[in-house]
Amino acid sequence: MSYLNESFALLKKDIKCELRTRFAANAIFLFAFTTLIVISYSIAPYRIDEPHRPFIYATLLWIILVFSAFSGLSRSFVKEAEAYTEDLLRLSTQPEVVYTGKMLFNTTLLLLLELLIVPVFLLLMNIRVGHAHYLILLLLFGGVGLSATTTMVAAMIARARVKGVLFSALSFPLTFPLLITLIKGTEKSFMEADIVHWDEVRVAVAYIIVIGVLSLFLFPIIWRD
Amino acid sequence: MSYRLEINNVAKHFDRLLLFKKIDAMVEQGQLLTISGENGSGKSTLLRIIAGLLKPSRGDVVYFNDTLRLERSQLCSMMTMAAPAINLYDELTAHENLTFLATIKGSREKHRKIDSLLEQVGLARFKHELYGIYSTGMKQRLKIAAAVLNDPSFLLLDEPFSNLDENGRQIVLQIIAEQRRRGCTVIASNIKEDIELGDVRIELS
Repeated sequence: MSYLNESFALLKKDIKCELRTRFAANAIFLFAFTTLIVISYSIAPYRIDEPHRPFIYATLLWIILVFSAFSGLSRSFVKEAEAYTEDLLRLSTQPEVVYTGKMLFNTTLLLLLELLIVPVFLLLMNIRVGHAHYLILLLLFGGVGLSATTTMVAAMIARARVKGVLFSALSFPLTFPLLITLIKGTEKSFMEADIVHWDEVRVAVAYIIVIGVLSLFLFPIIWRD
Repeated sequence: MSYRLEINNVAKHFDRLLLFKKIDAMVEQGQLLTISGENGSGKSTLLRIIAGLLKPSRGDVVYFNDTLRLERSQLCSMMTMAAPAINLYDELTAHENLTFLATIKGSREKHRKIDSLLEQVGLARFKHELYGIYSTGMKQRLKIAAAVLNDPSFLLLDEPFSNLDENGRQIVLQIIAEQRRRGCTVIASNIKEDIELGDVRIELS
């Protein structure tokens, strides 16, 4: 219980600081809305053949979400390092609490981004979702998976000189398998055909478990060294 | 319970630059260790090594509770440090900063102590103001308050009197006196009167 209480205290602190500065939210939401508007104007629904639409829409949706996330989530640890509060956390609590708290904060931001961007995207591109429940599960588990990975990478790059480049370079190969799965699943959710095995949701859940367990083992080493 | 801190043959070098070597000291419960030396002699570095924020090139620092050697994971709730290079959160008020620290240190019962501590360091009137707009002296007072919030068994202070007026200095001296009854204290300073407070002294050259 104490572990969870401490992680939620960190989440609460980060939300409070974010609401007062909009440090990450501005970067993420501005990037997302700009990309969304550009895409909706340049690739309007009528420019794509009907059979190709689900795949292209799914790809565009995840490109917007992933690159928006990359633009802001890297800041979670960089901000602590730049404000000289990193050692305060290091001395005050266990590394696992820091990882969980930061991951919860990044997940909150990402799910909020999805909540705002996805309905607008569906509306602007005039998409009829065949399986809404499947899309919701993919967005939920995709968001958690992406934030679990980016939180870990953000901690690794916090003290590097070329933070932005390094963050994308490290995050991309780690999130690639998840991204491909999410695109495939989202394409299915946009189609009318029945979804039988829920393969993509299962892969996303397995990805979260693997990354989560690995992070909880690796994070203390990164955090203390 | 009796706390003890041992520094055994500690050395630190950055590449070829040797900062210090063969540092040995033992601080018993109720004692105060002072670390002094010229600018660049490695006072803050040694304090960071004692806190476990930096690895020594040689030797080790060991914490004891009676005869029981304390693990790193146990120290989070027992050891605190205040230093110029360790900040509190600019976006939070003084009260919010202390509430957050009490919670993540797993000492929620200390929430009751926050108001009296803010009163003691003379910041009660400003407890709902953002830490970011505090003066450097007020920030220093709050850092000291944050360091003693959970009644630490090991208290490490880097330049604890910097930026403080005479009243602030007396408050910190009182806090150090209270800490001496509770556990071990380590201070890094250049000021003669601060160094003279020490029962055990390390002078870096």
